[in-house]
Amino acid sequence: MIVFALFVSTVFAVLTRDDPKEQIAFGARLFGGFIGAGVLIGWLLYPLPL
Amino acid sequence: MRAAAAQRTQTSSLTYLLCAVAWFVPGAGHLWLGRRQKGIVFLVALTLMFVFGLWLEGRLFPFDMEQPLVALSAIADLGVGCPYFIARLMGVGRGDVVAITYEYGNTFIIAAGLLNMLVVLDVFDIAKGRK
Repeated sequence: MIVFALFVSTVFAVLTRDDPKEQIAFGARLFGGFIGAGVLIGWLLYPLPL
Repeated sequence: MRAAAAQRTQTSSLTYLLCAVAWFVPGAGHLWLGRRQKGIVFLVALTLMFVFGLWLEGRLFPFDMEQPLVALSAIADLGVGCPYFIARLMGVGRGDVVAITYEYGNTFIIAAGLLNMLVVLDVFDIAKGRK
């Protein structure tokens, strides 16, 4: 999940921003969002049976 | 150089050629338009993502029109361009359905193809002078 989030956030950040500083800031936010959402959804689904 | 290349509006046939090149080699369209940093990032990231998916026992789906989701996955796989054909020629991407990483591998391969399609659309916009 972390590797996937890293790849996707890198491509999206470079695709949507032109300035390198903006790319890094946006990419970091996107990466954090992916990881945070993944952990949150995993935590919410934890009580559910398989 | 980059600004001059980006601001230049391409002719229609050149735009489609650019899109074809951008599809076939991830990042090549941006490199052609003088956006070297973006081109190199796309080339490295999308190719690595595709290879990572194959390494995780992902499958290159066949064009099976009787199974619409499989056919859609095949179209997404094809989106990555040249690496797809190289993988096919090398005989990799058969996918091991019992491997624990099988679905992860599929996700990487499909996402790489779909992201490359977005990159092609970006090249189209740049070539048309919209960006």
